[in-house]
Amino acid sequence: MPAVLTVDPRSGVPIYLQIIEQVKRSVALGVLRAGEQLPTVKQLAIDLTVNPNTVARAYRELEREAVIETATGRGSFVRTDEVEASPRVAVEIGRDAIELALREAKAVGLDRDEVRAIFEAALERWFSELPKGDSQ
Amino acid sequence: MSSIKISNLRKIYGSTPAVDDLSLEVPSASVFGLLGPNGAGKTTTFKCMLGLARPSSGEILYDGKPLAPESFERIAYVPERNVLYDWLTVDEHVEMNRRAFRAFDPARARELLSQFGVDHRKRVSALSKGMRTAVMVACAFARNAEILVLDEPTGGLDPVNQRHVLSLIINEAAKGNSVIFSSHQIGQVERAAEMIAIIDRGKVILSGLVDDLKADRKIVEGIFPDVAFSLDGIANDPRVLRVDRTERIVRLLVTAGAGEIAARLSASGATGIRALDLNLEDIFLYAVSPVTATTDIVTKEQSS
Repeated sequence: MPAVLTVDPRSGVPIYLQIIEQVKRSVALGVLRAGEQLPTVKQLAIDLTVNPNTVARAYRELEREAVIETATGRGSFVRTDEVEASPRVAVEIGRDAIELALREAKAVGLDRDEVRAIFEAALERWFSELPKGDSQ
Repeated sequence: MSSIKISNLRKIYGSTPAVDDLSLEVPSASVFGLLGPNGAGKTTTFKCMLGLARPSSGEILYDGKPLAPESFERIAYVPERNVLYDWLTVDEHVEMNRRAFRAFDPARARELLSQFGVDHRKRVSALSKGMRTAVMVACAFARNAEILVLDEPTGGLDPVNQRHVLSLIINEAAKGNSVIFSSHQIGQVERAAEMIAIIDRGKVILSGLVDDLKADRKIVEGIFPDVAFSLDGIANDPRVLRVDRTERIVRLLVTAGAGEIAARLSASGATGIRALDLNLEDIFLYAVSPVTATTDIVTKEQSS
């Protein structure tokens, strides 16, 4: 599991947000499965060479967002409760990506119809009946 | 427990203040990065913390208590300047530390030295600058100290050994100890430190959690249809720190509320609006050297 996490400390994106984003993505993709244990704060801090308090902050936020749960003395796990974490997180990631794209399209001055045309074409390309493998 | 609290520290040499009303707090189990240009007062601050320079005024407390002879057992220090004895071998320095500090672990020191690739049989005079740094770092981290004060602990080290020092720092924080360190390598501070203070001419000009500074500080950029545009008083917003205008493009350095300020920019007729993230180096440069950070600067007063 730690192998799938990397952070870029030189980016302008706060490190704790990078960790949150990557754990969510791993959960959405099933790389981290419901009930699976995450590395301890200390272990992940050492693996990534980042401050332990920064990792702890990411874990706290992931807990608050009901992606993971922490059992005192046992560690942190991907949540297994009635709301399946994986599909819910996948929806969140997809929504954020589309929001970002629409904001950018609006910022460069496209109108609703132009955006709709682009969106329909893209939808057609990525979601036609035959899936094209792992669409990035 | 291993907290450090510096309140209103001032150190005056002759008539020049090297440290001027500096306050900062390092909680237990945390890593604090001290950034600043050369001569900003970092080393003087460290010397005052260690009792190597007498503060002109102000207070430095460790877990609420001032520095006392017994504190030295708990505090490990890596000075910026080489303080090793040229005529002694590395092994002899390890032995010196063993005699000086009760909790010093010679086996750990030798293990660290070998990880850094230092030949422990050599005389210090035969070591490169980086290897001398490695000796000081190895001895400091073998002290089992609760507080580590590290002045440029990666000076002269190659990238592999620099990363090793960062791992050691993180390991200390994970054990519940506290580290305060300075480095000109901002990328290292960005990685290992949870909190930073940027000091310039002896004063703290910016401090906070690295992640919060990154989350809050943004450049909001917009393009106006015409060269003669008005910002409708956006520049007077206290969160707008700087305004740079180049032809039809305006860039605002904001300390918070990037989304809201972007919306106001849009309302005043700008398009192509985006918020750009800043890394710690950008934040540092804007703080200590606004002029080199950008060109064509219009101050807030002139543009509003």
